[in-house]
Amino acid sequence: MAELSIQHIDKIYDNNVQAVFDFNLDVKDGELIVLVGPSGCGKSTTLRMVAGLEDISAGKLLLDGKDITAAPAKDRDMAMVFQSYALYGHMTVYENMAFSLTLRKENPNVIHKKVMAAAEILGLTSQLNKKPAQLSGGQRQRVAMGRSIVRNPKVFLFDEPLSNLDAKLRGATRREILLLHKRLQATMLYVTHDQTEALTLADRIVCMSMGHVQQVGTPLELYDSPDNIFVASFIGLPPMNFFDVKVDGDRLVGEKLNVALTPEEQSILRGYEGREIVLGVRPENIVEGADVAVDVTTNENLGMNTLVHGYVGGTHNQIVAKIKGWCDYKNGDTASFSFKRKHFFDKETTNAIRGGK
Amino acid sequence: MNMDDERTVRRDRMRFIKNTQSSSLCYLGILFNVFYFVSLYMSDVGNYYYNIMIGVSVVYNLIFMLAVFLASEGVKNYKAIYSAILAVLGVVQIVRIFIIPTPAHAAETVVNGVETTVMGDAQYIFIVICLVASAVCLLLAALINFVKCRELAEHMKTLDAQNA
Repeated sequence: MAELSIQHIDKIYDNNVQAVFDFNLDVKDGELIVLVGPSGCGKSTTLRMVAGLEDISAGKLLLDGKDITAAPAKDRDMAMVFQSYALYGHMTVYENMAFSLTLRKENPNVIHKKVMAAAEILGLTSQLNKKPAQLSGGQRQRVAMGRSIVRNPKVFLFDEPLSNLDAKLRGATRREILLLHKRLQATMLYVTHDQTEALTLADRIVCMSMGHVQQVGTPLELYDSPDNIFVASFIGLPPMNFFDVKVDGDRLVGEKLNVALTPEEQSILRGYEGREIVLGVRPENIVEGADVAVDVTTNENLGMNTLVHGYVGGTHNQIVAKIKGWCDYKNGDTASFSFKRKHFFDKETTNAIRGGK
Repeated sequence: MNMDDERTVRRDRMRFIKNTQSSSLCYLGILFNVFYFVSLYMSDVGNYYYNIMIGVSVVYNLIFMLAVFLASEGVKNYKAIYSAILAVLGVVQIVRIFIIPTPAHAAETVVNGVETTVMGDAQYIFIVICLVASAVCLLLAALINFVKCRELAEHMKTLDAQNA
């Protein structure tokens, strides 16, 4: 049982730079929360505050209802896995994993049982006598995780653990972390700037920008119903296309853009008649059709899909379409596309426009 | 493998943990030997020690320290052969009591015109204690390593049988 409650937390450095603004989050027992955002958005700072490695300038941190805001890191019963592994190079894998328990002067037989159990979970049994230098990046990261597991902490904290790995290994290790979470059913806080990691791992995602929480929700919520333009542009690969348009009755009219609205979309935009809004369309929601003419610049065949890059007919509005199947557009070709699913954002506030709100 | 059996767990630990007990005893054996030769070589008893034996003693001390250090690395990794080497070195430490210290304790020499005992009772007792302690450390290291090596070999056999 480990429920973490982060209440109105701020981080202000000595030079008066504020890195985190009013961060609020209740993490349920066994939940895997991913903090995602671009570099410098305050996600690692937040994690370090939770771990006790940074002072909390304002707000409260509760673990299972107990206030641990001022508690030192060692008393928080949390284990952190770093991007750089932080393994002891002169110790074997076994010794690295056993180290924290040895410091606590636990019974050597108990330590052994815990290390062996963790090694079994992580598939490290055959590597226990090796030194970190003899391991691959993925194996080293598993050792770092093993070191956390043996402590049986209340909360696991991961600070961009896969950033040092190559793409293939990153995918494999990501799946291992997911399996680990399912197996341990532990409360985990995971920081990444990679939205693929966030979408595949998280029970809930916290999307951050410039120290502010932009949206908290399930991966599907963030993907399908982004709260604002930032979240819409950050989540999804390739990112969402945005166009400045004006609501004109049952149509959206923009530069070389004239898109019909469904009755449902019209009702969402009821209060915006005649006003300028931002239209967002995910590349995967673009199909070949007759709504928009696009001057193709590049055509990337990915096997199952083709990414078609271009500009909306003679304008500077860039567009990326993810078309199913194999396409053979050449530079200079004109393609015609239609938008299947549309997202609408207020131009001034950048917030999503949702009917009835 | 039955992880509930403490004896099995203790044996299984040896697969991953070095035999620091034996290696530490080796280092202690070297330390007592250092006390011995420092005490001996500090003696100011004219030219009593100026003979071939002291030269052999210096060379042996160097070889001894090197050999025990190498053996300490061997026993750390549960190499049974080093138990035999340590046992021999341990016995030699006892024998050494009778090569230089005992004759020196019984001998007298003239220093600055005064007849004096080469090695007083206190120094003799100290040296004997150092050599005995060094020998005990080495023999104990050898014994512990021998027992652990056997246990580990048995355990590995059991594991191999289980995996087969």
